[in-house]
Amino acid sequence: MMNPYLPEKATILEIRQETNGARPIRTFKVALQNGQALNQKPGQCAMVGILRVGESMISIASSPTQSEYLEFSIMKLGKVTTALHDCEAGETITLRGPYGNGFPIAAWKGKNIVTIGGGIGQAPLRPIVQYILDNRDDFEQFDIIYGARSAGDLCYKAELFELEKRNDLKVHLSIDMADPDWKRFVGFVPNNVLRIKPSPENTIAITCGPPVMIKYVIHNLLELGFSEQQIFTTLENRMKCGIGKCGRCNVGNFYVCKDGPVFDYATLKNLPEF
Amino acid sequence: MDVLILQKDSIKDFLSSLSTDYLLWAPIEKDGDTLFQPLLDCNNNSPDLAHQAIIIKHSIFPQTEPLYSYDQNDQIQAPDAQDIKQNILFGVRPCDARSFSLLDPVFKGDVPDPYYLARRNKALLIGMACTKPFANCFCTSVGGNPCGQEGLDLLCTDLGDRYLVAVLSEKGKEIINKTSSLFIAAPAEEIKQGAELAQNAERSMKRRIDLAGVTDTLGRIFENPVWKKMALKCIGCGICTYTCPTCYCFDMQDEPMAKKRGRRVRVWDSCMYKEYTLHASGHNPRPTRVERLKNRIYHKFKFNVDTFGTFGCVGCGRCITLCPVNEDIIENLLAVKGAA
Repeated sequence: MMNPYLPEKATILEIRQETNGARPIRTFKVALQNGQALNQKPGQCAMVGILRVGESMISIASSPTQSEYLEFSIMKLGKVTTALHDCEAGETITLRGPYGNGFPIAAWKGKNIVTIGGGIGQAPLRPIVQYILDNRDDFEQFDIIYGARSAGDLCYKAELFELEKRNDLKVHLSIDMADPDWKRFVGFVPNNVLRIKPSPENTIAITCGPPVMIKYVIHNLLELGFSEQQIFTTLENRMKCGIGKCGRCNVGNFYVCKDGPVFDYATLKNLPEF
Repeated sequence: MDVLILQKDSIKDFLSSLSTDYLLWAPIEKDGDTLFQPLLDCNNNSPDLAHQAIIIKHSIFPQTEPLYSYDQNDQIQAPDAQDIKQNILFGVRPCDARSFSLLDPVFKGDVPDPYYLARRNKALLIGMACTKPFANCFCTSVGGNPCGQEGLDLLCTDLGDRYLVAVLSEKGKEIINKTSSLFIAAPAEEIKQGAELAQNAERSMKRRIDLAGVTDTLGRIFENPVWKKMALKCIGCGICTYTCPTCYCFDMQDEPMAKKRGRRVRVWDSCMYKEYTLHASGHNPRPTRVERLKNRIYHKFKFNVDTFGTFGCVGCGRCITLCPVNEDIIENLLAVKGAA
């Protein structure tokens, strides 16, 4: 019988500092030492661990179309993520997964896509961005709406500034608080959504960020005429096993690790604790 | 189905014969508590093996279990399932036997759990019928029976100086065959006596609750003020979950060992603790005891029904008996019904 708790070892190829401050974010580019690909779907997660410390469930921030490596954008918050931030390129970590349902991205072929992210919430949306860019002809109009507290809190900043220059997608960046050097939108992400007014016609909207942001983004999307089935989000909860047994990540009778993390709003709105 | 008689005088011989090939577990009285433990000396067992042990699930699902260990060079080594001995659980209450039937689908699931299943597949369950149900037993209200056979390989019924032994599975038959000289076929009179004891036991069950419709009710009262009132006296100690035969939640932790070795263990956890769901960010989806007690009742009487089709409760009554502040799940469920 396969042992689902046994991790594989992976090497850190590169570490990029995304943000600084009290809760810095770094992106870890890693490759499994067995040479295999994880074969994940966009939106799936993996248990990232360090022996002697523990494991944390982290969303995979890279697309399966880039099979030679995986990326994880990790905020330094708890025991495991702090230990990960102490790591350097070349060091070994552990991985298990992929876990969760992922985004039904194949079913979105031929549609307009709008991703709406806030803070570290851009990490699970990034594989969608990369996937669409790698399969650009499969999708119609593509909008990336993303905001953070300040310019210094924006993840993937250089990457997004590059994407702004392309003409086959639109990037709408925002920060919450005014900054003299910031020439783009200032205000909360849900307000930016109302300002941009994505058309619900043949469109899928995917949002991830702080719970309060998700709440108002969904509210505003519904106001713009999106149906509950056109809105997707990805949840997070504390997790240990990743396979729907240890109990703690339940929302109603769904386990976020196994039945999620991706839910459409039609499903989500019936869950008691959301 | 074979029904046999085993003289109580012969129980030591029966258990001794089994202890050579099996790791034998039985209720053992220790410091005033009845614990379910490996029976190392069959001559030294409790005079009345029929006591209700505080916990039994640890025999299949240990409270602390190494998932794997690693050495100073980070070489990972998982325990070998071959090393797990055949287990016999003797003196299992019918409610506890049923609890394993409720745990099985969780650990089988979409991704089978090799640790639980290795022990489970090597376990043989010898039951002890509850001819005198305990004060807080309510198994008949959740689909069980004090003398029920579900999940058991053998079921013993205490007839005074003898046990009536019902043979319920091939595995049960095999161990009887090993010591067949200790058993005789039960006369019709004694089979009838056993059936009467079972009927009386069912009738003497003091605590009952009609749970028809409770799952639907729970679907409607998530925001009801009843939960706040219910959780007022809960102190969040978690004993209801630790002693619950159907609770299975666990944590995974790294434990350091000598010479930079270490191991990752799984340990029982409890949904009654705030750390159970606490995010690294500080956000907690179940921040107070109200949400936590509510989740426990929802898990057992709604989520488990939605997912597996049965209540996640066998009515053993331990959470009632052992709660230090007299939370009472039957009264909680009555409050749920009243809130509808």
